[in-house]
Amino acid sequence: MKRVAAILALLWCLPHLVVAFWMVQGAFVAKTAMHEGVIAQFSLLAGGLLIAVFSLFLARLCVQIVLASSQPSGA
Amino acid sequence: MRLIGPLIALAGTIVAGLLVLNIASQVGQTQPWGAELSDNFVFVRALPAILGLGVLYGVLGGWLSPRGAAARRADGAVRRFSTTTVLLHALLAAGFLLALPTGIWQYLGGILDVQGPLPVFLYYRIHYIGAGLVLVSVAAFVTYWWMTGDRSLLFAPGDLRRHLRGFALELPPQLGMRLAGLLLLDTKQPAGSPGTFTFYEKVFSFPTWGFAIGLISITGLVKLLRYAMPIPGQVIFVDSTLHVTAMVILVIRTLDHLRYTLARWPLVVAMTTGWLPIGTGSVRGAPARTSPAGSVSGGDE
Repeated sequence: MKRVAAILALLWCLPHLVVAFWMVQGAFVAKTAMHEGVIAQFSLLAGGLLIAVFSLFLARLCVQIVLASSQPSGA
Repeated sequence: MRLIGPLIALAGTIVAGLLVLNIASQVGQTQPWGAELSDNFVFVRALPAILGLGVLYGVLGGWLSPRGAAARRADGAVRRFSTTTVLLHALLAAGFLLALPTGIWQYLGGILDVQGPLPVFLYYRIHYIGAGLVLVSVAAFVTYWWMTGDRSLLFAPGDLRRHLRGFALELPPQLGMRLAGLLLLDTKQPAGSPGTFTFYEKVFSFPTWGFAIGLISITGLVKLLRYAMPIPGQVIFVDSTLHVTAMVILVIRTLDHLRYTLARWPLVVAMTTGWLPIGTGSVRGAPARTSPAGSVSGGDE
């Protein structure tokens, strides 16, 4: 069950990494953000980076759980 | 007796659902605008039914699962969450599952100027359904805590420094020591027991959840009310910015919450069954620099 939860959480992470990429990219190239000013661009950048960092933390944990539960216990 | 409560909840849900359907059918017949704006009106007019349903759930929860002495099962498992808390948490999670991705898409679609695969009004409709579930859950939780007097996720203002100390000690050492230095905390002093929940949950997790959910609910309601009453454009701009800020905080909180609880599997078991499995009932109090202080021990990690 723990493995299933980890796989689902990993699936939750992946689109967030895409979102983070779009936000970071949008901070530099999106016309709307450029029009709204530096604060809007910085918010996109900071938000995107934070989402990426937290997604990677969760993804790393999920991979660890999946790998650990797929290994034989050795008992 | 135990059947009456769920039956009342079911009846309330049906009545609220019929009310919303009735509002939706009226808007469809009498309003000249498109589906996107119509959904806005439906949601605004359905708010009393949505919040009322939440209050009903909270009252029933307070009646059916009053706060009592800590229960222990025959196999040693300890009761951590009531059935009401488990159900409302699931409802809140379902709300986030619908509202967050659609909210992100609406925001990014506007920023990137990209059209998604679905018609725009469908994103809004799903977003409103998710937001409705979140509002029902929030209204229910507030009513439930008010009825039961449960304050286990809160701490007295006078106890703030001890809780901050415990929180700093529960964090990874590098981060915790930096925080302690910044807040001038003496980490050599023991922080004692945090109670039912860890210092992390009481000092960081619950307050940030509460702040972000409150912010997104209030700013979301203001965004909706602009169609029911005149609101200056500048206010709408600030409100929309804060709504997006709350969304980003909630996205981060969701990721962090999953990371924290998946690393402590007994907490996931407790939040789905209400019971903390045997051998994991004690919450370690900080300081415990050599062990993951404040974490729930055990589990199959």
